Amino acid sequence: MSVEYNCILIRFGEIFLKGHNKKYFEDLLINNIKSALKPLKYTFLRSQGRYYIEDAADNSSEIVSRLTRVFGIHSVSPAVKVKTDEEELFKAAVAMSPMSGKFRVTVKRADKRLPFTSAEMAGKIGGALLKASLGKLKVDLYDFDFELNVDIRDNGFSYLFYDKIPGAGGLPVGCSGNGMLLLSGGIDSPVAGYLIAKRGVRINAVHFHSFPYTSELALQKVKDLAAKLARYTGGVKLFVVPFTDIQYAIHEKCPESFMITIMRRFMMRIAERLARREECGAIITGESLGQVASQTMQSMMVTNSVVSLPVYRPLIGFDKEEIIDISKKIDAFDISIRPYEDCCTVFLPKNPVIRPRIAEAVEYEKNLDVDALIDAAVENTVEEFITSK
Amino acid sequence: MIYFDNAATTRVIPEAAQTVFKYLTEKYYNPSAMYHEALDVKNDLENARSVILNQIGGEGKLYFTSGGTESDNLAFFGTKKKRNSRVIISAVEHAAVYQSAMNLKQAGFDVCVAPVDGSGKIDIEAFSALLNADTSFVSVIHVSNETGAVNDIGELARLTKRVAPRALFHSDGVQAGGKIKIDLKSIPVDLYSLSAHKIGAPKGTGALYAAKGVHLNPVIVGGGQEEGVRSSTENTAGIMAFATAFSAAALHIDESAENLRALSAYLRKRLGAFDDVMVISPEDGSPYILSFASASVRGEVIEHALEREGVLVGTGSACSSNKSTRRIPEALNLQGKYASGMVRLSFSRFSSMAEAEEFADKYEKVYKELKRHVG
Repeated sequence: MSVEYNCILIRFGEIFLKGHNKKYFEDLLINNIKSALKPLKYTFLRSQGRYYIEDAADNSSEIVSRLTRVFGIHSVSPAVKVKTDEEELFKAAVAMSPMSGKFRVTVKRADKRLPFTSAEMAGKIGGALLKASLGKLKVDLYDFDFELNVDIRDNGFSYLFYDKIPGAGGLPVGCSGNGMLLLSGGIDSPVAGYLIAKRGVRINAVHFHSFPYTSELALQKVKDLAAKLARYTGGVKLFVVPFTDIQYAIHEKCPESFMITIMRRFMMRIAERLARREECGAIITGESLGQVASQTMQSMMVTNSVVSLPVYRPLIGFDKEEIIDISKKIDAFDISIRPYEDCCTVFLPKNPVIRPRIAEAVEYEKNLDVDALIDAAVENTVEEFITSK
Repeated sequence: MIYFDNAATTRVIPEAAQTVFKYLTEKYYNPSAMYHEALDVKNDLENARSVILNQIGGEGKLYFTSGGTESDNLAFFGTKKKRNSRVIISAVEHAAVYQSAMNLKQAGFDVCVAPVDGSGKIDIEAFSALLNADTSFVSVIHVSNETGAVNDIGELARLTKRVAPRALFHSDGVQAGGKIKIDLKSIPVDLYSLSAHKIGAPKGTGALYAAKGVHLNPVIVGGGQEEGVRSSTENTAGIMAFATAFSAAALHIDESAENLRALSAYLRKRLGAFDDVMVISPEDGSPYILSFASASVRGEVIEHALEREGVLVGTGSACSSNKSTRRIPEALNLQGKYASGMVRLSFSRFSSMAEAEEFADKYEKVYKELKRHVG
């Protein structure tokens, strides 16, 4: 039962639903697939609601693993492609099947001109397998150990496959526009970025850097996280904002308990400024209700009140454990737990305010030249396009 | 740029780099091979061994390893010890010794940690109190990599042998080799670890000294090199460079120490001008290391701020953002904010007074600036 898979079959999911926008979604998906597979060599074919990768040589497993990270793909299957010819089909079926256990064969026949029905062909292939196994295989259409799928296409070729490897699901990145993610270096924000990207959003990210209070290692950590996200999004435009002067100013002129609240209001304002410049339709954060003092309902209202763009918080109802599960799934967790300080842990007040009021924050900010501080930070922001490694 | 992090690693001296090149491109033969060229390399290797043995006044054997960490591991895991017997280490051992001891503890040994004073020097009285007849192994760092405190390992070894004559005494000499004079044959130290890259040779080479009659079982087995104690084809280029750098350092050992003592005294004075800065290193310690702690600014922040001025320093292993590194500040009994404010300056024999002056000026500038914001 050794056989060479010479083809990879790609099924896409939700984009079928999108009516006359279908072509737009498909073009985007194909574009994303091609960019995810760069610079590997292969042939891309499309036919009747499916895509096929052929001539991938030794790159098959790498291609499969990359495809499972492209949003919009429902599942992929390594397959054997043969000429639609009974003997060829039997030979391939026998070569790729285990020779004991319970099985079924499912045939789909797109080519209706052929002189047999799908069920007849399934029976014939099943018969060939029974014969080859010398009685060790048994047919069971309902309680089977494995199912051999055979797609007979109308181009004279058939595809045989077993595995359906689940894809990343979601919508092709880009179809929902751009978003600006606040990326800290912790566990939550990369997960938030992943979940929103899954709904078709192209991710830009903004990181606030407090050198010398945070180190170059902390910045590297953020870049490594962005690179993990980029495996799903095709790339992340990262904006690194120098934040130390703003923290100094707040620290000097505002009450200690409001340090975090006012800091976060600055972050939102800067994120919105960059978001509008980059034509983003929303700001994305990793906030989860009640997780820390700055993520209470009141705190989020106070920080939200300085921006007019919508703020997406996909993790708002998640428990930490649930967030960690996704973080591990996208391979970000081990990076997130590297022990470097981020800008929120320096100048951390002993008793942060848990239920701040907007009026108080506005009052304290009168001591600061908010616009000048933001202008300077945005002006000195460094931009870098992060690709997957 | 000013590089004051020489306890982490040093720049390779040109003679050592040339030696490496020679043994990589000309005398690259496997010293275990049977032809003349190989034998020649083998002889060079034995020469390097005796050069280093002579410098440390050793009468036993010297086994080359991949570095200080492996040497410490070999000392811990290659020696025979009675089951579940007592093992004593000091509270400021390097992680290579500390983690080795923790492994023994998990295996059932009675591992005791002897406290140190505020300068990192072992408390001899407390150490003596821990010694008992059941003690099988003692490991005390010679020169503390955190503070430069020098332990009197001769005296400690004598105390050990008096109570437990069959116990083995090991010392991690990684920050001592080539920097302070030592005569191992005159003291009852059984095992002594050395590293090459702290004195101007490349990373990847070290040695473990074993006194006469001390038997080592291999931790790495294979082709039987190093008398079967440490298999693996010898890193000839690294070993030869190690000997080159060690000799060069030994040649200037007194003169370097004197220069650095002056440098260190100067910096002590400059740092002493801040009332929230406390010098940790003892005055009678190694002049190669000067540690201090700030009560106002975290060590890591000082490090990054100095980095921006082109000055590279260390925080030792006492970096505050990592909870597992509380061990050293706690051992030194650093109180309150001092516990996260540790900074380590470490010098090479090439460090100059001019650099020290420039450092002090830059430190003053940076520190005042940082303090303004942490109030």
